[in-house]
Amino acid sequence: MTNTARKALTGLVLAGLIAGCSSNVTLQAPAIPVPLTERIPVSVGLRMPADFYSFVHQEEVYGREEWSIDLGNSNAKFFTQLFGHMFRDLKVLEDGDDPQSFDIDALIEPSIDAFEFSVPNQSKTNSFAVWIRYRLKVYDRGGTLVSNWPVSAYGKSQTKSISNSDALQRAAVLAMRDAAALMIMKFDDVTKISSLAGQPTPVAAPVAVPSTGDSEDDGVQVTGVEGRDDETG
Amino acid sequence: MKQVDVTKAAVAVLLAISLAGCVTSRVEDAREGLTGIEEGESIVIMAKSYHLGNETEEKYINCIEKALGNGSKGLRVIPHREFVDSLFPWFEPRTAPAETKNLPKLMERPGVAEKIAQQGIRYIIWLDGDTERVAGGGSLSCAAGPGGGGCFGFAWWQNDADYNASVWDLDGLESAGTVSTDVSGTSFLPALVVPIPLIARTQSKACKSLAGQLRAFIINEETA
Repeated sequence: MTNTARKALTGLVLAGLIAGCSSNVTLQAPAIPVPLTERIPVSVGLRMPADFYSFVHQEEVYGREEWSIDLGNSNAKFFTQLFGHMFRDLKVLEDGDDPQSFDIDALIEPSIDAFEFSVPNQSKTNSFAVWIRYRLKVYDRGGTLVSNWPVSAYGKSQTKSISNSDALQRAAVLAMRDAAALMIMKFDDVTKISSLAGQPTPVAAPVAVPSTGDSEDDGVQVTGVEGRDDETG
Repeated sequence: MKQVDVTKAAVAVLLAISLAGCVTSRVEDAREGLTGIEEGESIVIMAKSYHLGNETEEKYINCIEKALGNGSKGLRVIPHREFVDSLFPWFEPRTAPAETKNLPKLMERPGVAEKIAQQGIRYIIWLDGDTERVAGGGSLSCAAGPGGGGCFGFAWWQNDADYNASVWDLDGLESAGTVSTDVSGTSFLPALVVPIPLIARTQSKACKSLAGQLRAFIINEETA
């Protein structure tokens, strides 16, 4: 065997070993069904961060394997679909668009605070679980931050009847649907966004700069997260 | 020639039977109201929410759906994912009603009663429970060399499948009762060069027994 062939074989074996220790999952955007609720009578703009169009979460499960979850543009599709169902009108803002140049009552800026998951080896169950914490910032016509709402969602899927990759994907989709259900039920109660409908644009109002600091420092309403299981009823 | 085929088939069946592990099962129901199902009415099988700690497997739900829908006395079963999507977001794990007393308020929500009527759903059956390995033991080792390989030893394990089905009658918006099954199965794996698995189909047995009892409960065979 020549040196080149030996090197190539060694490379192949090493690549195989490395591949054997990592898992890659690509998430397809979930289809959010049309909700059986009335639309909130507000015209909103949606401005999404760059990572909503190409989000990749990588994590090494301690001492075991590396997981890479490519959400791609799932978050962008998810929020566009969801808010399209929830509000009277939706305008998705492009990078560089000035919200004040559009006829909208409110601007919503979602972001991801945290994305976590657990695999069966960690939880000692047959399930994959995914937690996503979104943050929704709502601005009025004048650009003032009126609500800053963290939304925590959870999804879980069994591995027994499907592959690990499919189970993790399913758990992520369920977490996104969980977030959707919470937003549909609580958005207006928490953010009072419907009260922003038809408000006049304040003269010389300052354009708010989204803050990453503590919400109390922003002097805005911060409302507790998600509901509990008795929210429906 | 044909006689040889029949003999082979008989041997295969006997072998399959002898190669199954031991399974014991119990199924019971508790009725709270009269049941029955009319032509055009349907049922839906749901898992209780994982937000409440339930671990019912998707595979088990699919098995119950299939078992209830098949056969001459098959019921009209609406696939659970289709039902959940059609009533989004009111049957998501976070939002699904946990008790029948929540049903009247749910039915008042816009479009909910209409969607349920449109699909002809008479009963919602909520499953909870799972199949777990509760015990196991023995030892088995395998080795391979240039001249061949083989396994020696003996291993066993016991699975318990406990499932409970709550039947909600959407006609009266009340509970019709519960059906439960408890199946225990022990599998064996003796190996003398070649391992011979004697597998107990615990979950499959739990599916068959619960589906059979659920069908009888819904049709109300005692009075029918």
